[in-house]
Amino acid sequence: MKINIHRTGRAATVVALGSVLALTVTACGDNGSGAAGDKGTEGSGKGEITFWDNNGGVRTDIWKQIIADFEKKYPDIKVKYVGIPAASAQSKYDTAIQGGGLPDVGGVGTAMLAEVAVQGALEPLDSRLKGSSLDGKLSQNLLDVSRSAGGGDALYQVPTSANNGTLWYRTDLFKAAGLDAPTTWSKFYDAADKLTDEGKNKFGFTIRGGEGAIAPALDAVYGQTGITSFWNGDKTTVNDPKNVAALEKYIALYKKDTPSADVNNDFTKMVAQWDSGTIGMLSHNLGSYQDHVKALGAEKFRGIPNPTQDDGTRVQVSNPVDGMSLFKSSKNKAAAWKFIEFALSAAENSKFNESAGQVPANTDAAKDAWIQKAEPTKLAAEALNGAGTKIVQLPYYLPDWNTISKSDNEPNFQKLLLGKMSAKQFLDTLADQLNKAQADWKANH
Amino acid sequence: MITKDATISAPAAPAPPAEEPRQRPGNKRRAWDEVPRWHIYLPLSLYLLFTLIPFYWILLFALRPAGSTSLVPWPMTFDHFDKVWNDRSFGTYFQNSVLIAVATLVMTTLVALAGGYALARFDFRIKRGFMLALLCSQFVPGALLLVPLFQIFAKLQMINSLGSVIIAETVFQLPLSMILISGFIRNVPYSLEEAAWVDGCDRFTAFRIVVLPLLRPGLIAVGSFAFVHAWNHFLFALMFLSDQSKQTIPVGLNTLMSSDSVDLGALAAGGIIAAVPVVIVFAFIQKWLITGFSAGAVKG
Repeated sequence: MKINIHRTGRAATVVALGSVLALTVTACGDNGSGAAGDKGTEGSGKGEITFWDNNGGVRTDIWKQIIADFEKKYPDIKVKYVGIPAASAQSKYDTAIQGGGLPDVGGVGTAMLAEVAVQGALEPLDSRLKGSSLDGKLSQNLLDVSRSAGGGDALYQVPTSANNGTLWYRTDLFKAAGLDAPTTWSKFYDAADKLTDEGKNKFGFTIRGGEGAIAPALDAVYGQTGITSFWNGDKTTVNDPKNVAALEKYIALYKKDTPSADVNNDFTKMVAQWDSGTIGMLSHNLGSYQDHVKALGAEKFRGIPNPTQDDGTRVQVSNPVDGMSLFKSSKNKAAAWKFIEFALSAAENSKFNESAGQVPANTDAAKDAWIQKAEPTKLAAEALNGAGTKIVQLPYYLPDWNTISKSDNEPNFQKLLLGKMSAKQFLDTLADQLNKAQADWKANH
Repeated sequence: MITKDATISAPAAPAPPAEEPRQRPGNKRRAWDEVPRWHIYLPLSLYLLFTLIPFYWILLFALRPAGSTSLVPWPMTFDHFDKVWNDRSFGTYFQNSVLIAVATLVMTTLVALAGGYALARFDFRIKRGFMLALLCSQFVPGALLLVPLFQIFAKLQMINSLGSVIIAETVFQLPLSMILISGFIRNVPYSLEEAAWVDGCDRFTAFRIVVLPLLRPGLIAVGSFAFVHAWNHFLFALMFLSDQSKQTIPVGLNTLMSSDSVDLGALAAGGIIAAVPVVIVFAFIQKWLITGFSAGAVKG
């Protein structure tokens, strides 16, 4: 027996539909506060501001120290710290841009700057920087990268730190094999061959074949060929015949001088493999320094900038630059800018980068004693700011850059390693996508 | 009434062949005895090894000192656990996760019980459409609804409140839970409830005294699903909660991985802290869970 409730159900249906409509209407009726459409206000320069750290967890302690220092200096301003896991920062920003709830200040790296800026969420910072105590104190190279990554028209990010491609190598293994430090590409390839003894599970190099493989591969390619610009007019130089030859030479290391499992290497697996095995060299960045110290001790390895050409010419691709952005929707931009200014001051920027193991954006901070003692950071700073260094600016400003350099082409890079695609096919595909994205971007600017 | 139903439904069919069913178990037993034991235990052992190696790997990284490459966790250290629990606030994350998971379990089970009863016992005009909508809702990923949910919770002043995550988790759990519970309720003969009414119970009392005890496997299945899903879910906690003091274990685990560095020892220790409650829950309920799955699979 079943009970028929058609009549009583009608009332319930009406109530349920009414509730759904009411909730929908209230949701749709958002006036955009906190979202990208909101212009925000300067505010009183006092009260509470919210800061989103895009590398929450590992950087939480140092940010809390900086915030404590700031609140001591400006007792009228309170900073609410929100740590966001690095891998989810982009989606958290995207959701807040669409749904509301953006912070006043946020950590925004160049890798995501274009996507956030293009949605109109960020405040241009040129005029604030010009009238600030920071004017002339920040690395011009890094400011150029920040400006370029935001689209080139305005400065949407004040850089805090630079990372740099670093070749980590095992000094103990090099010494035992009688090899020179791999400062040039010739020495690098020579060492990769001589340190490999597959039967004893010893390899000269570990290559990044999985997530995040494209940028290190481009760094190796441009570093070998010495081509100094990513664009030649409206066309990318990425598939230049010299680059094709350099890529062929680089990926020929796979399985010959590297473990075969490298095809799936993201940075986590690559670093763990290098730290726990007998592999001569690893190309990563400054960020893994502490992992190596913990695993190997400070005496067994060195970190040097990626190799140069035999004549000492250094060409490298631009690395992501970490920085702070002011959000347009902030209701207290004056206080928010004070916080950015404070965090970028020499003392605080030095403190932050010493903890993060990166190169400070503040040029006074970059002279501090700790940098002179931390060799990988010191060499990275010298390479970044060296007069002879040519930096190939990767097109972080293209809103499609992340898609092209990750989901579109990482599987192709694996095919390349596995011999299912040629270096020319790989670079031609990449070039076609980049040229199209560049044309689209130019059409809209 | 039960007797009447039983009488009416009793088939007057000829008796089935008597010998064949009795012989079948014996034949099976003989066939089983003839199989060499290693045919059974070797594949099972290999499968067990395959399953346990990742767990051993996690234990190894969690218990050996940082920088050690030893394949056994010796010398053993609890430094990684101390670090994540105290320095990385996993103690707080754990409390929040427990609160969210238990509240989701309770709310999901209660609402699914009421909804499932209605679906099983009542006819109403849009019942088929409603069932279809419940099924279709399973195809909508949570990420698709993030922005509208965020806006709704913002309007309700519930952003950065554990309540927002509990409500969102409950709402996403409900469709499947209601469908499952309604299946279990259909398996309970309606005549049992009618008998209770005849004995003077009202509908709710009859449900509570007669039906509810028979739904235990179903409730455990639905409740454990809700608990485990809410315990593991990352997206809603990440998006709706901001304060570190309100974050959950999955978000905490993610913060152990920076953009270019991972503390594998801390990550492994955090992973064990995250896994232990789920393992305990399943260890206690697996008997009822299996019963629940098989009972729910039979259409009433």
